[in-house]
Amino acid sequence: MPRSFTFGLTRSECNEMIEPGHEPQTVTRILFQDFPTWMMVTFYIAAIAAIIAFGYGCYVQLRKYRRGQALSLRNISEGLTCMIGDLLSHRSLKRRDHSAGMIHALIFFGFALLFIGTATITLEYDILEPITGWRFWYGSLYLWFSLIVDIAGLAFVTGLIYMMYRRQWLALPKLDYQRPDREPSEPDFDRSWYRREDWLFLWTLVLIGVTGFLLEADRLVWLQQDATVWNYRWWSPVGAVLAGLLEAIGLTSTVAESLRYGLWWLHGLLAFSFIGVLPFTKAKHIFTAMASLAIRDAKPAARLPEADLEANTIGYRKITDFNWKQLLHVDACTKCGRCHEACPANTSGFPLSPRDVVLTLRELANNSLQYGTLPAVESLQAVGDGINQVRVETLWSCRTCAACVEICPVGIEHVPLIVEMRRALVDEGEMDPAVQTALQNIQKKGNSIGENKRKRAAWSKKLDFEIRDARKEPVELLWFVGDYASFDPRYQKVAQTFARILHTSGIDFGILYEGEMTAGNDVRRVGEEGLFEHVAEKNIETLSGCEFECIVTTDPHSFNTLTNEYPQFGGEFKVEHATQLLNRLLASGKIPLERRLDRKVTYHDSCHLGRLNKEYAAPRDVLAKLGVKITEMPRNRDNAFCCGAGGGRIWTPDPLEMEKPAELRMHEAAEINDIDAFVVNCPKCMNMFEDAVKSTGNDKRLEVIEVIELVAACMDLDKVIPAAQENMEAESV
Amino acid sequence: MKILVPIKQVGVLDEDFEIRDDGRDVDLDYLDFELNEWDDYSWEEALRLQEEFGDAVEIVPLAVGPEEAEEGLRKCLAKGGERGIRVWDDAMQGSDPMAVARVIAKVAEREQADMVFAGALASDHGFAQTGVSVAAQLGWSQVAVVSKLDYQPGDNSVKVNRELEGGLEEVLSVQTPAVLTIQLGINEPRYASLRGIKQAKAKPVEELSHGDLGLSDEDVGEAGSASRVRRMYLPEKGQAELIEGTPAEQAERLVEIINELKGVA
Repeated sequence: MPRSFTFGLTRSECNEMIEPGHEPQTVTRILFQDFPTWMMVTFYIAAIAAIIAFGYGCYVQLRKYRRGQALSLRNISEGLTCMIGDLLSHRSLKRRDHSAGMIHALIFFGFALLFIGTATITLEYDILEPITGWRFWYGSLYLWFSLIVDIAGLAFVTGLIYMMYRRQWLALPKLDYQRPDREPSEPDFDRSWYRREDWLFLWTLVLIGVTGFLLEADRLVWLQQDATVWNYRWWSPVGAVLAGLLEAIGLTSTVAESLRYGLWWLHGLLAFSFIGVLPFTKAKHIFTAMASLAIRDAKPAARLPEADLEANTIGYRKITDFNWKQLLHVDACTKCGRCHEACPANTSGFPLSPRDVVLTLRELANNSLQYGTLPAVESLQAVGDGINQVRVETLWSCRTCAACVEICPVGIEHVPLIVEMRRALVDEGEMDPAVQTALQNIQKKGNSIGENKRKRAAWSKKLDFEIRDARKEPVELLWFVGDYASFDPRYQKVAQTFARILHTSGIDFGILYEGEMTAGNDVRRVGEEGLFEHVAEKNIETLSGCEFECIVTTDPHSFNTLTNEYPQFGGEFKVEHATQLLNRLLASGKIPLERRLDRKVTYHDSCHLGRLNKEYAAPRDVLAKLGVKITEMPRNRDNAFCCGAGGGRIWTPDPLEMEKPAELRMHEAAEINDIDAFVVNCPKCMNMFEDAVKSTGNDKRLEVIEVIELVAACMDLDKVIPAAQENMEAESV
Repeated sequence: MKILVPIKQVGVLDEDFEIRDDGRDVDLDYLDFELNEWDDYSWEEALRLQEEFGDAVEIVPLAVGPEEAEEGLRKCLAKGGERGIRVWDDAMQGSDPMAVARVIAKVAEREQADMVFAGALASDHGFAQTGVSVAAQLGWSQVAVVSKLDYQPGDNSVKVNRELEGGLEEVLSVQTPAVLTIQLGINEPRYASLRGIKQAKAKPVEELSHGDLGLSDEDVGEAGSASRVRRMYLPEKGQAELIEGTPAEQAERLVEIINELKGVA
């Protein structure tokens, strides 16, 4: 026997597995043993029918994707490598739900081995043997095969049964399909058909597994007189145990023989039905999830797609406006509910669940793009109040915090979907009046607040030194101040403090004064692509005319767009967030620290610095260097809960009767006992939390403070500030 | 049916501004121009009728003003409408609402418009006269300060609401052709995206002079106006003073003021 067919065992070891007197060739499973011809013929007809149905289903799905817009992918090999890593490690499934991930791994690897096993038998029986007369599925290889596939089957069935338990008895809220964007009276509110599909899926697979084991056990009982079968039964341990049980309840060889056909057909037909309908059911995630993971974008929410402003339309209105990649992404959703649970809008009761946006688009695609011809254009509309349409208020509820994108185990990119649909709304002029005001302010004045552009640097007049004008002289560090640091009274103080830190540390820095416009991060996320391009190009033009080494900004929103999006328009600059710069300066000893702070705080990751740009360390390192002790909130780093101000929501007041995301976050912080401050690194977070700390009644206990202000306190700069601040306060009275 | 919508680019004052040397207006350097807020609403009302009834309704924005006024037309055209009209020449400088109305009336005749939707007033000078003067020139019926409008193409009358003092609501039926001056809040004007504004540059704007409309030099400008701005000035500031400084300094200044007023000094 060739070594390769014995899993590396030597002949003598093989001989120990096969009893003396048994020819290895006889130790195998005879397929279709004693089957009448008509059964064989029927079996093959059913098999071919299932494969044809599967092939047609795949064709229909691919045709559906191809009805989306064209898109060419970059870095396919990188995506594939990453996807294989995801599959093998199951890391995307284990995140924040370890047990579900582990159990899914049992099902996945069990299924994969069972599939490989079945395919191996088909390869020998239907292809190699008929053509070449060559067999390999016998003897020791057969026994090892039996053992491995038996264990795989056990893993598979155990995993499925746990999933049933999870659905039925754990009753996780994220597995509840009731929608926040529909009223209970609406037909698609609870989508009970999804639950039926889930159960059908689980039961089908469980029954395929269980009937497989029963069939195995039944064969053992039936052929118990055959030593080449019975003596090797423990190589299929599950079958052997079951056979023992069946015997114990009185199953005889004869009865087993008669039961066998029924079981066999049940098992076979279930499996064929599963294969045949797979492309039209939840089961298709076997393929679509892998594909979706492989075609992921590296920064789907941090770098939004460009648009052709000269085209007749912009953004997505119809399902056919989405590109094939997006249609495939939405087809990968397994309704696991992780995005639903992570979404700040959904959590605070806004009519948005990222899961439901994805599922709505999927249903629309399935209903309109799976047939031979495309339906009338009205049936393709993605935005509207009908069934399988995304509502306008849903789109405006999004804060583009990317919590959904971050946690999706199958790599769905929700944020670009929402922004593209917003682009179409903006093009039609449809938006909240408050957003309209902000955008008109930017059109007219270059800032969202509506202040005169000449007053952009007015905050700097309170300093006892003059900040250099980066437009007029070369500077090492160009500080892009941003709208909120320029105009928001609370954050102006942070801007002044940051200026003092840089000045005291002897850093050569300058600002653009009234030459600076809003960076446009939120303009883009609202969907006003034309205005975004305009401000981006203006800022790039201004920046290109200055001499500097690096841009720094205290605003993570500006940081994000400058870093990730300006390059799309030719603005390639080195950009640092203030906390990164401070961390660097502290490490090199350039910042003269007078004392350490003995404070206990909690730290809130802003979405734009954290999730979107993966900078979790720098602000924490800065605090550690100051001696500040952080107690983390339960949701931190990639799971941080958005303050609610992203995606242009800072411009839209949240309804009074609702508990705002920032208030929920403040409750979370207030659960921590011995802290006295809530540390932020973003002007928009500061704006939100300054309100939330008061409205939740935590303002006596918790101070909302910027990382920058804590650095200044260690430099004893806060001792110098009061005079200047008093002046300001007096003026604002 | 054709609706003519006269619009105006109004000057918005900077915080610090100066009066022109002749003392009759604000120095242009200190003005930012934007579309008069009321005209956003009148254009939106026209757009809605146009969207509701399609080709049965044509809407045309009209600006009587210099080149800067074209920006306002583009903003309107970004939202809808296929063409605009701008009337201006040097002789029209100094036109008061009467003279401007004469021009608008001529355009309405030339366009064979069925209705004119004007903003109730313009935020810069606030005469609230242009719209009603157009009606007088044309001999059409008119309703001022309309807060709700109900019209079906083909009807020879339009139903409008007006808000009166004390929360009263008045409903009127007006014969067409008519001039309606539109009040704020009649609708929610949509947003004009920057992309839309840029694309609207491809839409034609017909440029006319007063001569093209058959008006003589005496009909426009100061010659054709019934009123003339004599002087524009900032009244003396009131007595309010913001007291700055430390509490002690503030108290000191307060005592000083009290003594001044009492004539102690």
